[in-house]
Amino acid sequence: MSQAAKTAARQVKPILSLNKEEARKRVLNLYKAWHRQLPYIVKQYDIPKNIPQCREKLREEFTKYNNIQDVRVVDMLIIKGQMELKEVVEVWKQKGHIMTYFKESQEPKPKDFISKFLAGVN
Amino acid sequence: MAGVLKATTGLTGLAVAKTPHHTLGVLYGKILRTLQKMPEDAAYRKHTQDLIQERANILQANLNVEAVEKQINCGQIEEVIVQAENELILARKMLNWKPWESLVKEAPPNQWTWPPAQPSK
Amino acid sequence: MASILRQFAKTLIAPTARNAVALNAVRFKSTEPAEVKETRPTVRKADIAARAQLKDFGKYCADCLPKYIQKVQITAGDELELLIAPEGILPVLQFLKDHHNAQFSNLVDIAGVDVPCRTNRFEIVYNILSLRFNSRIRVKTYTDELTPIDSCNDVYKAANWYEREIWDMYGVFFANHPDLRRILTDYGFEGHPFRKDFPLSGYVEVRYDDERKRVVCEPLELAQEFRKFELEAPWEQFPNFRGANPASEEVDIKKTQK
Repeated sequence: MSQAAKTAARQVKPILSLNKEEARKRVLNLYKAWHRQLPYIVKQYDIPKNIPQCREKLREEFTKYNNIQDVRVVDMLIIKGQMELKEVVEVWKQKGHIMTYFKESQEPKPKDFISKFLAGVN
Repeated sequence: MAGVLKATTGLTGLAVAKTPHHTLGVLYGKILRTLQKMPEDAAYRKHTQDLIQERANILQANLNVEAVEKQINCGQIEEVIVQAENELILARKMLNWKPWESLVKEAPPNQWTWPPAQPSK
Repeated sequence: MASILRQFAKTLIAPTARNAVALNAVRFKSTEPAEVKETRPTVRKADIAARAQLKDFGKYCADCLPKYIQKVQITAGDELELLIAPEGILPVLQFLKDHHNAQFSNLVDIAGVDVPCRTNRFEIVYNILSLRFNSRIRVKTYTDELTPIDSCNDVYKAANWYEREIWDMYGVFFANHPDLRRILTDYGFEGHPFRKDFPLSGYVEVRYDDERKRVVCEPLELAQEFRKFELEAPWEQFPNFRGANPASEEVDIKKTQK
């Protein structure tokens, strides 16, 4: 048996979802849950952002993992996302933790030559 | 019951058994019946059966609770009852798990070697 | 330890009065002073008498649970280890907890080991203690990043926080855990710090920002982009060291199996 066929036929223990469709549903559920929570987040945490900005950020956080195909990796990310949502809902996180998503204090990395030169990066 | 009923076991959360003989006898009967459902050559069945049978014999031979405790030599009679309860639960679960079958899967090579980087000898 | 011997002798030989005498004889023998000259007084001696009993107990376990136990070994002279397949965590732990001859009712700790060069890189180690027989056993199993392991919370209530710790530090997912979430790291922390590929400095750094009046989190420039995992101890290159002191001694369980 060739290596590729062997890996394809390897039996793995599923984490949550048995197939891609199920994983996709779970992702959508998680997305909706976050989406519904956003107004409360803005209010409870008193962050200097409005709801559309938060929605955009939420979308960005999810689309960051667009290219992941492995169902088990998706499941793991869903689990972590759920845990994070719970931390937000229960207000275990603080304002600083929420604002970390927006990366405000980070300067964008210099891309073109002149700004690289000015920043002293080669 | 010829044994003198004591006031306390001296262990938190463990009440004095009112009818230790009866309770223990019933438990041992249940364990032995559960073990009957396992295959004859299962090592777990054999070992447990011998042990329970021995304890059951001691229980039948002595009417005095203290004598039973002394001969079983595994703590007070209340503790022996708890042990029997645990064994019963275990035996029932074992029927589902069937641990007497052959190994589910071998460990991958080098899984259990230690130290992990074997110097070439 | 003596009580394990006693328990064994009892199940195998049956008569009890003779046993007690034999037991006393063993006790007297073990307290006799050793006549061998002490050469390494600072090194802990392995208990030889206990080792024989632990070996017997290891064989007994392997005999009772041949489906799950892959290997039985004695490490550090007198510590018994059961190396099991990940499917068998619940049966093995339940057996060790509830069986009359084991009664390991106390879960001392759950630990993890990360060896990146193996296919199943994580080892999960359960240390359990029997108060009845004053004895300890280590149960080891393995997993990788994406394979869930059965939570033993139903067997040992103590496992709850230990499993959370393993999840937090190594990222091993425990199936059927009632409350799996982080326990040591900060909210919003990314990564699992006890993995060997986690950089010593972490991925982010946190500071108080005076302008924004709150704590901000910034990514760290990693000085080291790539690391090689060499797990060889530095003294392993000395020829005298090689094979001089085997870390473990395997107990033969094949004979007892059918």
